[in-house]
Amino acid sequence: MAEATAPKPSSSVKLVLLGEAAVGKSSLVLRFVNNDFQENKEPTIGAAFLTQKCNLPTRTIKFEIWDTAGQERFASLAPMYYRNAQSALVVYDLTKPTSLIKAKHWVAELQRQASPGIVIALVGNKLDLTNESSGSGNALGEDSETDAAEGENDDGDARKVSTAEAKTYAEEEGLLFFETSAKNGTNVTEVFTAIANAIPETSLKGARGPGATQSSANRTEDQSRVNLTGPRDSASKEGCAC
Amino acid sequence: MFNFSSLVQKAQSFIDPTQALNISPSDRNPAKSTLFRHQFRLPDSQTPLQEITAEITISPPVAYSPNATQGEKDKDRDRGYHYEGKLHLSEAYLCFSTQPTSFLQSASTSTSSGFTGQTHGGGPGGNGFTLPLCAIRRVERLHSQQYQFALAITTWNGLTNSPTNDAAKTPAPQQKITIQLAGTRQACERFCDGLKKRPQGWRETKKDGKKDSVPPDAGLGMIFRYPGDHKKLRDRSKMRLWGEYLRDYGRNVTLIRQPTFHKTYPRRMKVAILSRSTRSKKDLNRSLPEYPGFQSEEGIGRLRRVLTAYSWTNEEVGYCQAMNIVVAALLIYMSESQAFFLLSTLCDRLLPGYYSTTMYGTLLDQKVFESLVEKTMPILWDHLVKSDVQLSVVSLPWFLSLYINSMPLVFAFRVLDVFFLEGPKVLFQVGLAILRINGEELLDAADDGAFISVLKSYFSKLDESAHPKSENAKLRAVTRFQELMVVAFKEFSGITQNSITEQRMKHKDSVLNGIESFAKRTSIRNLGPDSKRLSVDDLGSLYDRFYGVLYERQQRSQIIMEETERRDRAQRAKAAEVVTGLSENQVVEKGRVGLGPSPTLMDYDGFREFLAGMARWAITDSPSSPGKDNTSESEKHSYFGNSVRRREVSLSPWGSGNPEPANHEFMQRLFRRWDVDMNSALTLQNVVTGLAHIKGKGDIMGSITYFFELYDDDGDGKVDREGILRISEALLFLSRRGLEGSLTPSSSMTGLSEYEADNPNPYQPEGMQGNTNERFLSSVSAFIRRCFEYADPDHPQNKVTEVEESTADSLADPDSFGIGDDSDEEEDLLDLGDSSPARGKKPTGIPSIPAASDKSNNGNRSVSKAHAEAANAALDPSKPLHITLPTFRMVVLADELLEQFFESSFPASFRISDKMVAPASSSASSLTTFSSIGFGRSTPQSSVGGTSSAGLVPPGKGLRGVLDNIVTDGMRVAAEVRRRMDEAQKELEQNAVHRPDDDEDDEEGYDEPRTPGGGNAERTVRSEDRDLLEGADAEAMSLRGQDGVSEVKQQDSLNPTAPSAARSRSASVVSSKVIEFER
Repeated sequence: MAEATAPKPSSSVKLVLLGEAAVGKSSLVLRFVNNDFQENKEPTIGAAFLTQKCNLPTRTIKFEIWDTAGQERFASLAPMYYRNAQSALVVYDLTKPTSLIKAKHWVAELQRQASPGIVIALVGNKLDLTNESSGSGNALGEDSETDAAEGENDDGDARKVSTAEAKTYAEEEGLLFFETSAKNGTNVTEVFTAIANAIPETSLKGARGPGATQSSANRTEDQSRVNLTGPRDSASKEGCAC
Repeated sequence: MFNFSSLVQKAQSFIDPTQALNISPSDRNPAKSTLFRHQFRLPDSQTPLQEITAEITISPPVAYSPNATQGEKDKDRDRGYHYEGKLHLSEAYLCFSTQPTSFLQSASTSTSSGFTGQTHGGGPGGNGFTLPLCAIRRVERLHSQQYQFALAITTWNGLTNSPTNDAAKTPAPQQKITIQLAGTRQACERFCDGLKKRPQGWRETKKDGKKDSVPPDAGLGMIFRYPGDHKKLRDRSKMRLWGEYLRDYGRNVTLIRQPTFHKTYPRRMKVAILSRSTRSKKDLNRSLPEYPGFQSEEGIGRLRRVLTAYSWTNEEVGYCQAMNIVVAALLIYMSESQAFFLLSTLCDRLLPGYYSTTMYGTLLDQKVFESLVEKTMPILWDHLVKSDVQLSVVSLPWFLSLYINSMPLVFAFRVLDVFFLEGPKVLFQVGLAILRINGEELLDAADDGAFISVLKSYFSKLDESAHPKSENAKLRAVTRFQELMVVAFKEFSGITQNSITEQRMKHKDSVLNGIESFAKRTSIRNLGPDSKRLSVDDLGSLYDRFYGVLYERQQRSQIIMEETERRDRAQRAKAAEVVTGLSENQVVEKGRVGLGPSPTLMDYDGFREFLAGMARWAITDSPSSPGKDNTSESEKHSYFGNSVRRREVSLSPWGSGNPEPANHEFMQRLFRRWDVDMNSALTLQNVVTGLAHIKGKGDIMGSITYFFELYDDDGDGKVDREGILRISEALLFLSRRGLEGSLTPSSSMTGLSEYEADNPNPYQPEGMQGNTNERFLSSVSAFIRRCFEYADPDHPQNKVTEVEESTADSLADPDSFGIGDDSDEEEDLLDLGDSSPARGKKPTGIPSIPAASDKSNNGNRSVSKAHAEAANAALDPSKPLHITLPTFRMVVLADELLEQFFESSFPASFRISDKMVAPASSSASSLTTFSSIGFGRSTPQSSVGGTSSAGLVPPGKGLRGVLDNIVTDGMRVAAEVRRRMDEAQKELEQNAVHRPDDDEDDEEGYDEPRTPGGGNAERTVRSEDRDLLEGADAEAMSLRGQDGVSEVKQQDSLNPTAPSAARSRSASVVSSKVIEFER
C-alpha cells in the first residue's frame, strides 16, 4: 500500500528476534514478511535473515531481520546477531510463563550488552490460543484491530501470562508491548510498525532527505509513546508494506 | 542405498578412530604401534607383528561381463592392478598400504592420522586395504617364478553378497588378492608363519561374516524417494559403477582402496548413490522437514527415535537444533541404527563440541574459518572488517548443518560424502571456495544483509552452468557446483586436517573464555532479586568459586578414576600434550563451563569445599588424607592446553594443595538451609541467595535471626536445649581460627604463645583485650549460661525440681560466697582472680575445639553428656526447655563480642571476593602457636608443608567435648542461680575467705598446657576447685539474674583497674571458669 509518488527517505533498520525456543519468533517473521503461517515450522539454525520494508508516512524503513534460534544453547551466539541491532523483538509465549522469564533475561541482556538506544518490543505470541481471539480467523488488516482489543479478563483457555503482568513489566523497562498471533496475524504488522516508528531518526543509517529529519523525529516520539499505552492505538493506517 | 550404507560404514572406519581414543602420543616421538594403528585406523589392541615389502595384484573379476558403456574402464581393469607397498600383519588384521610414510623416521602422529583421499593429495593411508583376518576365507601359497613367495588371499566377500541393488544381480565373483612378498626367504617365511599362527580368528568370525548377509536396513529414500530427479538414467550407471567397484574390490571391511576408488568417489562426483542429477529445483530448495518422508508418521518416527536414542546415550549433548536436520538427511539414505551411529560419530569425533550445550565446537570452527579467510582471501577479509560484516553470521549455519540447510539437498549430500570420506576439513574447504567464487560480488556487499543475499542466490543457482557463455560445450556443462568442488579441493588443497587442528588449538582458549564470560555474565544477570544484595564483584567471584569447585571436583574424580590406568602408561600420558585438538581434551576437560554440559549442582561435599575456599573456619583441623600426593608428583597433565595452570595429579578427594574442608554440623545446617529446593544439591542461585542473606547488607538483627532460624529445626520459633548447645558449638567452630571483621586487628594472628611471651604477667588487663579468641570463648560460655538462664521451660513445673536437685551440689560448694551481689570490691577481685585461669587454661580449650569429625564429637558428647546428666539435673531431657528468638537476640546483644560477631565477623568470614589471605599460613600460624606449647604434637607435620589445613589439633579431643563441659557448667550454673538468689546474703559473707583459693588455682592453670595428657589426674585433684569456681560463676549469674543485662555495665563502672576492658573481662571470667570445670 501507500505507494508514494515522491521517493520517501528510506533507511534500513537491523532488527533481531530473541526469545525462548518455539515461542513463534520465526512465525512472526514469516507472517510479517510473507504473510504466511506454517503449523510446524522447522527450528531455526543459528539465525535466519530476512528483509521486509515498512512504509511510514514520512519514510520507508527496511527491516533487516535476524531471526535467531531459540534453543538455550544457541544463546551464546546471540551477541553475534544483536550486535549493532537498532531494534529487538523479544518474544514470549503467553501460554508459557517460563518463556516470559526467558524474555526478561533477554531484555536485561539487550539493555546491557546491545547498542545503546536499542528499541525493544516485548511480544507475547500465540494469542490465538486464548479465548480473547477465538473465532477470529481473519488474516490481517483492519479486522485485526478488533482482535487486538485484549480485555484484562484472563479467562483464556491456554493463557498463562496475564496481559497486565507483562504490560507492567514492559512499562517498567520502557519496552513496546504487544500481544500477537502469528497464526492469524493479530497485531503482527503493528509490532513492526511501532518499532519502525520508535526508531529514533538519528540512529538511522542511510537516511536520505535532510528536511525530514527533524520533523519526523518529533512524530516518532509521539507515536512511540502512544504505542506504549496500548497496541490498539498503534495500528496505524499506514501499516507495513506486506 | 545399500551401497551407501556400506560406504558410510567404510567411511566411518576410515575416519581416524584414534581421535576418539584419547591416546594421542606426542607428535614428536610416537610409538610405531601407534602410527600403525593410526595409519590403518585399527583398534587399540592391535600391534604390528610382521611387516614386509610386497606387491599386490588385484585380479580382474572373472565372472564379470563388462557392460558395453563401461568398456574402457573394464579394459583397464582386465589387466589387473599392481601396487607396491608394505604389508603388515597385526593380531587381527592384514593391512596393505602403498604409502609407507607413517613408518618413516620423520613420521608423526598427524601425518599418520591424516585423512586419506585424493583431495588431501594422497593421505598416508593411501591405497591399499585393511582386512580383518576374519574376512579372509582362504590363503594359498602360490608358486611364482619371479618371487619366492606369493600368497593368494580369498575373502568372504562375494559369498555373502546379497543382491539388494540392481548392480549386484549378476552372481558375484569371489574377491581374490594376490600378494607377492618381496624380501629374503627368511623374512618371507617369517611373515607367512605369522599369518599361519592366527588362524583361530578366522574361524571364529567366519560365522559372523555370514550373519552379515542379512540385507541392511535402508533409509527413507526407499519409501519416499531420494531427493533429486530419478529419471535420469545416469543414476543407474553410476549406481552400477559403485556396485561393481564394491563387488570387485570388496565392500565394508574388505574394501580395497585403489586410485579408482577415489576417482569413483567424490572428486569426479560419481557418487551415484547420493548425487542424483539435479533438475527439480523447487523440491531441493525446500528444507528438510518438507521432504515427504518427514511429513509422514514413519519418517518423523524414525527421526524422533534416532534423536531420542542419541540424547539418551549422550545426555551431555542431548538434542541440539540442527541435529534434526542432519539426522533427517542421513535418514533418507540409511536406517535408523545406521543414522544413530553416524550421528554419534559426528558428535563425538568429527564435530566435537558442535552440538554441545555451549556449541563451543561450532564457535571455535567459526573462528578457525575466519582466520582461514583472513589468510587466504585478505582483500575480502579487509572488506568484511571494514564494512563490519560478521562472517560467522553467514557461515555458522553452513558448518552447523553441514551445508544441508544452505545448499540444495542434492549438493549438500555430495559435500556430505566428501566430508565423511575426508573429514571435517572439507567443511572449511567448501566454505572457502564459496567465498572465493563469490568474491567479487561479496566485495560489493556492504552489510550482513547484502552479504547473505549474494550467497543465497548463489546457492540457488548451483545447478546452473558455471560458464553459461562459454563456447566450449564441455565447459558449459560444468555446473556451478562442480566448479565449487574443484575450487574447494584444488585451490584449497592446502587446508588439511592438521592445519585445522593447529588453528583449533590456537583459538581454543579465546573461544572458550568468550563462552565462559558470556555464560557468567548471563548467569549473574539472571540470579534474581536476592543477588542485588551482593556486589557485582562478589557475584562474579561467587560464580567463579562455585563453578571452580564443581569443575575441580569433576576433574578430580575423573583423574582419580583414571589414575591407575594412567600410571600404567605413564609414558604415553606424559606425552599426551594435546595433539589432535579438541577430541583429545574433551574427556579430560569435561566440566569446564565453556565446553558445554558442566555440572550445575553442588552436593554437600562440593559445598564443603566451596566453603573451605572462602571461609577459614570451613577448613578442617584434622585432615584425613595427608601426604598422598608424592606418588604422582612427576605426572603432570595439561588440561587447558597451554594457558591454564598445570596441576598435580592427586588422589586426594580434595585435590592436592587444597585444604580439606571441615565437616561440621553447622555446615550441614547451612547446606540444608540454602537447599531451598530440597534436592540435596545447591545451584548457583541457591548459593547466591544463601550468601545474600548472610552477607548482603543485612543488619545485625537479620543476622541473628538467620542464625536462630538455622537452629530452629521445626520452625516453631523455639530452639531447645540441644539447639542451644549446637549454637554454641557452632559459635566456637566459626571462631576457632579467629574472628574476621572489625574486631581486634590482630585477632586471628595473635597466637597464644606469642601472647604469653609478650605478656608474662597474666594479670595484665591489656592481655585480655589482645586476644579476641579467648574473649570470644568467654562470650560463648556466657552465652550458654544466659541462654539457659533465660530459657523458657517447656513445662514450668520442672523448674522447681531442677532447682531442688541442684541445691545439694551447691550447698557443698565452698565457693558459694564467691561474689557479693551488691559489693563493688568483690566484683573487682573476682575479675582479677578469674582472668588468670582463663588465660592459663585457654590452650587446652582452643586446640580441642576444632575437631571436625562427627564421630568423635558424638563419642565425646555421649560420654560427657552422661557425665553431665549424672551431675546435673538441668540436662535431664525430661525437663525440656527452649529459647525463643527474642531471648536469643537479647542474649547475643548482651555481649559485645557476640554482637560484633553477628554484626560483622560472621558475615565477613565468607570472603567472597578477596582471596583468602594465604589460608595456609594464617591458620597454621595461629595453630602452630599451640603446637609450640605442646598441643599440636599429634598432628602429622608432613601435611603442614603443602596443605594449609594442617590440623594441629589432637584429633581425639572433640570440640563437642569441650563444649559439653562448658555447657554442663552453664546449666549447672543456671540451676545454681535460683538457689543463689535465696542465699545471696550468705555468700557475701563467705566470699572473702575463699579468695586465696582462686589464686592458687591460677598458678596451676599455667602448668596445665604443658601436660595435656595428665588432665585426668588433675581433674580428680582439682574437683574441689571446680566447685569453688562453679560457685563463683553461679554468683555472677545470680547478679545477672537480678539485674539482667545491665549487670555488665554495672561491672564496667565499678571496675577501677580497667574500666574499658571490664565488660569483656567479665565475660572471660565466666569462660575461664567454665574451662576450669572440664578438668
